[in-house]
This record gives sequence, C-alpha cells and structure tokens, in this order.
Amino acid sequence: MVPTHIRDYIRPASVEEAWNVLAERGKGAKPIGGGIDALLYSVPETTAAVDLTGLDLSYVRDEGGLAIGATTTFTEILEAEPARAFLGGILVEVLEKVASPLQRNIATIGGTLGSAHPWSDVIPLLYVLGAELSLFDGQASRLSMSEYFARRVSGERPLITEIGLPAEGKASACAFEEFSSTGFDVAVLNCAAFLSVESGRCKTVRISIGGTPALATRLTPVEEALNGSPLDDGTIERIAAMAADTIDARDDRRATAGYRRDLTRVGVSRCLRRIVEQLGGVE
Amino acid sequence: MTITVTINGTSKRLAIEPGERLFELLRREGYMGVKTGCGTGDCGACAVLLNGRAVNSCIVFAAKADGGEVTTVEGLERDGRLHPVQEAFLDEGGIQCGYCTPGMVIGAVDLLSRNPEPTEDEIRQGLSGNLCRCTGYVKQVRAVQQAAAAMKGGGNDG
Ligand SMILES: Cc1cc2nc3c(=O)[nH]c(=O)nc-3n(C[C@H](O)[C@H](O)[C@H](O)COP(=O)(O)OP(=O)(O)OC[C@H]3O[C@@H](n4cnc5c(N)ncnc54)[C@H](O)[C@@H]3O)c2cc1C
Ligand code: FES
Ligand code: FES
Repeated sequence: MVPTHIRDYIRPASVEEAWNVLAERGKGAKPIGGGIDALLYSVPETTAAVDLTGLDLSYVRDEGGLAIGATTTFTEILEAEPARAFLGGILVEVLEKVASPLQRNIATIGGTLGSAHPWSDVIPLLYVLGAELSLFDGQASRLSMSEYFARRVSGERPLITEIGLPAEGKASACAFEEFSSTGFDVAVLNCAAFLSVESGRCKTVRISIGGTPALATRLTPVEEALNGSPLDDGTIERIAAMAADTIDARDDRRATAGYRRDLTRVGVSRCLRRIVEQLGGVE
Repeated sequence: MTITVTINGTSKRLAIEPGERLFELLRREGYMGVKTGCGTGDCGACAVLLNGRAVNSCIVFAAKADGGEVTTVEGLERDGRLHPVQEAFLDEGGIQCGYCTPGMVIGAVDLLSRNPEPTEDEIRQGLSGNLCRCTGYVKQVRAVQQAAAAMKGGGNDG
C-alpha cells in the first residue's frame, strides 16, 4: 500500500536545512534514516519524509572512543574496523543479532534511537556503553541517553546527528544477552551489562534491561548496589535477583511479567559471569 | 516526483509517488521477479540489490533509489547465461514452488560478494532474512556452497 499521505520527499543538504524543514512543517514532517519504520508505521498526519542520508552522517571514526554518524547503517558499522575492534567486539556480537542482512543494509543507528522500540537490541547496548548523543534542534547539544529519552517524553524531537561511545580502559568488559522465540524474532527481553574494575572491585557499573515490555532503561539502584563490591558468585546471584525485582515487568502477548523477571535474573547473571570471564576473573 | 535510476544496467527517468515503496515501482515497471510476500520486511521475497546491497524493497522508499542502481533477479544474467548462483540453485534443486527464489538468489549474491568463501553457518546467517516455505533450506545452502566454488574458479561474478 502506498502511503499516499506522504506528498513530499525532501532531501536537505545540511543539518540546519533539515531542521528548518522539520521546524516549519511541524508534526507533518518526519526525518528518515533507512525509512523502514517511517514506512511500516506511517500515520496519516505525516505528509513529508525528510531524508537525512545526504547530510554526510554515515561514518564510524576512532576518536579514542567511537563516533558513529546517525545515518550509518548496521551493515556499515559491522564492516568498520574501529567498530569491530571496540571493547572486545561487542558491537559485532549484538548487531549481528539484529534482524538479517536485508534489514541491516537499510536500518540506521539514528533511526533505531528515533523509533525507540521497547525490544530494540541496540538501545540497551548503547545505554551500557555510556553513549552520548549529539543533537540538533536549531542549536547543537550533547546529551546522555537518559537525558535524550527524558526530552522525548516532554514531546521534543531533536535530530540525532552522532552517537559517541567513550573510550574504555583495559579492565573493562561488556556482555549482552537476548531472549527471543527464534533467532530472527525480536526480543522477549534483553540484558546488557558493562563493568570496569579497579583493585578487584567494581568501579563503573552499567546495567540495562529492554523489553520488560517497556523501553530499555538503566537499573540505577542495582548498579549502585554493585558499585565498589567484588564480583564473586554470591554477589552475582544477589545482584541478578535484585535486577529481577527492580524491573517494571508486565504481561504482553510475548511473555508474562513473571517470566520476564526470571529472564532478567538469568540474563544479568550470564552477563556478569561472561564479564568475569573476559576480565580473567575479578578478585 | 521524478527520479533517475539505473535498473539492471539501463538508466531510466521515472515518475514516482513520494510515499511509494521500491517494490511497487519495480513491479509497475515490469520487473516481476520482485515478489511480494509479507510487505513488512520479514520474508525477503522482495529482495533486490540497491547500490550493490540486498535490501527488502518493501521497506525502502522508491525515492531512495534516485541516482542509484537497482539489480533485480532479471538483471543477474550476462550474455544470456545465468549467474552462477542461479545455475547452482537449479543444479542443486534449491527451488520448489520458486516464490522465495528471486529474493534468496539476490541475498546469496550479496553474501558472496562480501564473503566469497562462507561457512555453512555464515550462509545460514547470511540468508536468515529469506524465508522459504518449501525446501527446508538444505539444498539452498548447498547451492550457495556450489556457487561459491564456481565463482572462485572464475566466470560470471555478477
Ligand atoms: C523484519 C524486521 C526485523 C527487525 N528486527 C530487529 C531486531 O531484532 N532488533 C532490533 O534492534 N531491530 C530490529 N529491526 C530494526 C528496527 O525495528 C527498525 O526498523 C530500524 O532500526 C529502523 O531504522 P531506520 O533507519 O529505517 O529508521 P527510520 O524509519 O528512518 O526512522 C525511525 C524513526 O526515527 C526517526 N529518526 C530517524 N533518524 C533520526 C535521526 N537521525 N534523528 C532523530 N530521529 C530520527 C524517524 O522520524 C522515525 O520516527 C527490525 C526491522 C525489521 C523490518
Ligand atoms: S515482501 Fe518484502 S520482505 Fe516480505
Ligand atoms: S521454494 Fe517455495 S518458498 Fe522457497
């Protein structure tokens, strides 16, 4: 079915121009990266698609950390050497789970954040990698993921121009665990965890659960409970149980709240164990 | 709006609707090798190469092809000879009803262009977005292995 309500397809040449078109047309205009969701979930109010792929925002740069342009496709990230090498290859591990090459060749990282699907594999990962987003809404700014999603709740829709992942020290590792009915299906629940350790104690801790079935968030109280503590078996089980109690679990057609709590406990425990393994033990 | 796009090697100027999807445009232009299964990006029957990359043409704006190149399954043969992937699908019996075949072949061509010697697991992962209701995939995986071997020995590389 042709979304006939889309009467204009606009290709701005700069971020400023794109923003001006969006500001002028208000709710009627949608920015698009790959455009997948703009097509699949098209609503009659949308009368214009504003294609961001001509803004030179498709790149992966090693700047100590990583700088990823908002219109970079998952395939382009998977093929970029700095992304492959980043933090033990975690981006490859997770992005290879996203759909299949047929979608990864189209879908952009900016579009994924824009869509904010609760089951997104990428959003919990970006949360635990400490991603910062470069935004433009008439002026440029840089916000954490939590700050960006808080702004969206208040109805703002800044353009995302770049995703920045901070450089991490040697004694840090990240793990991801997805639960889905089939390899290709979207997640029933997913868990991501990042840890850095110093003198045998957890220093930076980030844990995020997605698909509860709400949009992923960080589990701040759980992170705080782990901070400063060693990472022995007992601690892992205690933290995993605490995570299961903390999530805002609900029933939906994919799973019950109780099952989601079980998955959270198992997922967090597996992620932390894998991190211990990657770090060669945390004593 | 009007776009300029090279389809199977022929440059065309085409009038499109701004909200139209690539598969609607291609079928209207007579490229019937582009099949429609789900229309939601799930099955891979509508796959074509857009600027060398296999995409589901049902979840891509037609306008995105402007200034670019599209290859449908009809555009894979050279000088009247089928592409090695097409030959291998015939040889191995990787085709039953044939509905998934154009998308599957396009997916395999993209896979082999990036990874000329894929393992069985890489083939299965690479074609995980191409669903087949008939074959059980075994012969299709074998076909891709055969095509990889044939292409390594030279010949039509698409
Ligand atoms: C069959 C299928 C299976 C999938 N499976 C998975 C999966 O398992 N895991 C997973 O994580 N994803 C999966 N996806 C991908 C995901 O659902 C989205 O479709 C995809 O990420 C959208 O990317 P896009 O670039 O096409 O977005 P677009 O459609 O271009 O944009 C999506 C939204 O974001 C806004 N937007 C786009 N770019 C920007 C920007 N730079 N700044 C601000 N707003 C912007 C748009 O206005 C729109 O509202 C799947 C998709 C399909 C079709
Ligand atoms: S018709 Fe396009 S993926 Fe099914
Ligand atoms: S041969 Fe029938 S769907 Fe694949």
